[in-house]
Amino acid sequence: MDQQALLPQARLGEFVAFLAARQKLIGPVALGYNQYKFAEVTSLEELSLDYLPTILPPKKYFLPYHERLLSYDLSDGQGMEPVVEVEDITLFGLHTCDLAGIQCLNMVFSDHPRDLHYLTRKHHMTLIGLECTDYCDHYANCAMLRTHLPKGGYDLFMTEMNDHYYVDVNTYTGEVLVREADLFERVTPLALKELRSLRDAKKKIFQNELPIRYQDMPKLFDDTCDSEVWTQVGDKCLACGNCTNVCPTCYCFDMADEPELGLTRGHRVRIWDSCQHETFAEVAGGENFRGQRSERQRHRFNRKFHFPLERYKRVFCTGCGRCSRSCMAGIDLKETLNALIDERS
Amino acid sequence: MSRPKVAFFDLACCEGCQLQVANLGEELLDILGRIELVEFREIMSENWPGRYDIAFVEGSVVNDEAEERLLEIRQRSDILIAYGSCATIGGINGIKNRRPIAEVQHAVYGERIDWFPARPTRALHHLVRVDYSIPGCPVYPPELIKVIKAALAGLPYVVPDYAVCVECKFNENVCMYDKGVTCLGPVTRAGCNSWCINHGNICYGCRGLVSNPNQAGAKEVLRRYRLDPDRIVDKMTMYNAAMER
Amino acid sequence: MKTMALHHCSYQVARAKVETVRALTDLEKLFRLVLPDGEALNHDPGQFVQVSLFGVGEAPISICSSPTQLDSFELCVRRAGRFTTALHQLNPGAEIGIRGPFGVGFPVIPLEGNDVMLIAGGLGLAPLRSLIHYIIDNRRDFGKVDILLGCRDPQSMLFCDELEVWRKRLDINFSCSVDRGAPDWEGNVGLITALIPGVHLEPLKTVAVVCGPPVMYRFVIQELLKKGIAERHIYLSLERHMKCGLGKCGHCQIENLYCCRDGPVFNYADIKNIKGAI
Ligand SMILES: Cc1cc2nc3c(=O)[nH]c(=O)nc-3n(C[C@H](O)[C@H](O)[C@H](O)COP(=O)(O)OP(=O)(O)OC[C@H]3O[C@@H](n4cnc5c(N)ncnc54)[C@H](O)[C@@H]3O)c2cc1C
Ligand code: SF4
Ligand code: FES
Repeated sequence: MDQQALLPQARLGEFVAFLAARQKLIGPVALGYNQYKFAEVTSLEELSLDYLPTILPPKKYFLPYHERLLSYDLSDGQGMEPVVEVEDITLFGLHTCDLAGIQCLNMVFSDHPRDLHYLTRKHHMTLIGLECTDYCDHYANCAMLRTHLPKGGYDLFMTEMNDHYYVDVNTYTGEVLVREADLFERVTPLALKELRSLRDAKKKIFQNELPIRYQDMPKLFDDTCDSEVWTQVGDKCLACGNCTNVCPTCYCFDMADEPELGLTRGHRVRIWDSCQHETFAEVAGGENFRGQRSERQRHRFNRKFHFPLERYKRVFCTGCGRCSRSCMAGIDLKETLNALIDERS
Repeated sequence: MSRPKVAFFDLACCEGCQLQVANLGEELLDILGRIELVEFREIMSENWPGRYDIAFVEGSVVNDEAEERLLEIRQRSDILIAYGSCATIGGINGIKNRRPIAEVQHAVYGERIDWFPARPTRALHHLVRVDYSIPGCPVYPPELIKVIKAALAGLPYVVPDYAVCVECKFNENVCMYDKGVTCLGPVTRAGCNSWCINHGNICYGCRGLVSNPNQAGAKEVLRRYRLDPDRIVDKMTMYNAAMER
Repeated sequence: MKTMALHHCSYQVARAKVETVRALTDLEKLFRLVLPDGEALNHDPGQFVQVSLFGVGEAPISICSSPTQLDSFELCVRRAGRFTTALHQLNPGAEIGIRGPFGVGFPVIPLEGNDVMLIAGGLGLAPLRSLIHYIIDNRRDFGKVDILLGCRDPQSMLFCDELEVWRKRLDINFSCSVDRGAPDWEGNVGLITALIPGVHLEPLKTVAVVCGPPVMYRFVIQELLKKGIAERHIYLSLERHMKCGLGKCGHCQIENLYCCRDGPVFNYADIKNIKGAI
């Protein structure tokens, strides 16, 4: 089997049906108002493959917003059993920015101490990417973060061309899918040429959206620690937490116990939390270590562009634009970065 | 161990929250297996003369008679649970606090103003110690059950201090602001799983405001979406007027 | 969706049995706990555990006994809210869950070769006590030992019986001060910072360890620096909101550091320029 293959466009429907018959298939579906979400589908008709980033990123399958960690039974003292909720699923039509987001989360949860809930679930996923040939909208900043091109993290990756999808087969799982679907053709020299010209065209469209280099970003945040920009952003922010919930690389969480009505049995769960919430960093005695909205916003940006570089050698912003799109207060990531760059110069 | 004696009471309200309890269905049966229901006007006629382990009180206090009743219930109960917006934040009844009480009485009772002595609306915690609060108009059944569990276990329950937007995002609803409608989700306490928005309605703020709402920021949001700021003030005071003291 | 059992995970708790419970003040209780088969917890002084009660939740609590105490370990818990109130209701024989020990504790090694100055404010004595007991149990290996303690008032003073012992020992210089006195209080009244200038020390050979509420740090550090103690010779134990104890949940984050993983004990020189740390 080759590392690449072609899927005739006319056979996409069959491929989707093949995937759906294998295991639960998830892809982008339209909600109206030009908004989308990942949901279960069984046929091509239900999918919206020409889509803006979904409201929630695919992280909802890797780190569900509500997840059981342990089951307990008080009739046996502090007896418990670690449990994990898993499902075999295929995620179809993932943009490169979302694949990048998954790569970031993978690093965090493989880091010591390993998170076996996340890692178990990860092994039940098949990931199929889909290339963007143009910006989804003006909120995106993927070129600056170089997430507009496929850089691994998928089993199959599809690029739409004139009559075919050009398919990169990245793993053995991908290879098996291509073989068993029996819908794919060998790559032709013509197709390769078409792919190259498509990527060349992309180079012209996707250009660094902001006047700053990738490697200079941590320095920008070192320099703007006490910037006025944070006060301005904080004055606007409603502390609703939308920006972090929709972020593909935000993973802060809370833990809680959920007893059954009989109160002897129950579950310890993990729930998404947000560093933007008022009480996130408050301790007994009332001290709040990030009591100001401006401090919390600065923290959010630093958690994308600054802190992760040291440990993970990678910026944790994927350029998907979700935070800007979902912020009612109109706090725009690109505008904020621009304001910081302006102020410094 | 004997089952805790539980009673339900109502002051000024629409009794919609009691209906939520009555409509719990199978879960109600499970709860009834854990408690001894001694008073509940909506579904039974008995009166209990003794002490209550847990008293649920719906509705707000709008006159002296209600105040006396509430004080008596408090005295006779170990745990008092305020449930519904009327009981927890004054709710709709609070609208009358937006004008002087005499003016309101006059508008409603006209000539017979003396027959109906009235007071400004008060939530229960303005008058007595409240052990648990379940906001909502009506209460959200899963939260009601959560509080019942907490009360049975003797643990406190705290209403989340973050916005309805959080749960609304979890449910991946299209944001009301993107539909061009004002919604109080960004400043209202979560815990209802964005019940209304999931069903196509806006958030009316029935659960009360988050502890430190950014009012200026909220106005700015309306300007941005070209919505009338007075509308949000109107909406905020619909349920929350009794809390402004 | 199916729910599967996991063999192992970082959230699982070990059982520990409450051996004794002792009320230290109106607000604080001391719990002595044993692990199954009397196994040692094997912690460093200054580390903490996540204490769990199913149905209630978890809270991070410092281990206040020394690792030299092998058959059991102790936690001193202040009643502060939901979890700690539930913990206070437990009696001997009850079972609790434990995760950990977590974090980086006090620097026993550099302390060993030097004079030691230990400064505790309020509940900060709990974590510091693990180190104090460790030092006492290995007293010969350490230089001069000064312990300074500050609390709100005499009623809120923890471990009073032990304080008396420390006060009497010749190999420990113990002094303490309360913010507000009481009629029968004969000791110092005033802030803990007032005790520091009076301590005789050889600054180049002294390592200081500070543990107390956030407000205390800035003033105490100033005094220590005035005494000529180098920034590198000062260690602090910081408190943050914690949920996981695993460097994941984000609650305890101080800029790029995680208090649960990189702390709670930090070297002052490493964090003095970190925004929001002190
Ligand atoms: C490293 C570390 C060591 C500690 N050691 C001790 C100790 O030895 N003895 C002791 O009595 N206390 C100690 N604490 C503090 C203790 O963890 C909190 O008092 C406890 O978590 C409060 O929980 P609660 O459910 O009783 O209070 P809650 O009802 O949850 O709330 C009371 C207050 O505590 C805050 N809080 C809630 N959860 C946490 C949390 N996980 N971490 C910090 N603050 C929280 C809340 O924001 C609120 O302001 C330590 C904390 C840390 C981080
Ligand atoms: S989405 Fe906007 S308003 Fe909400 S917390 Fe984020 S920045 Fe603040
Ligand atoms: S407590 Fe979760 S990251 Fe430190």
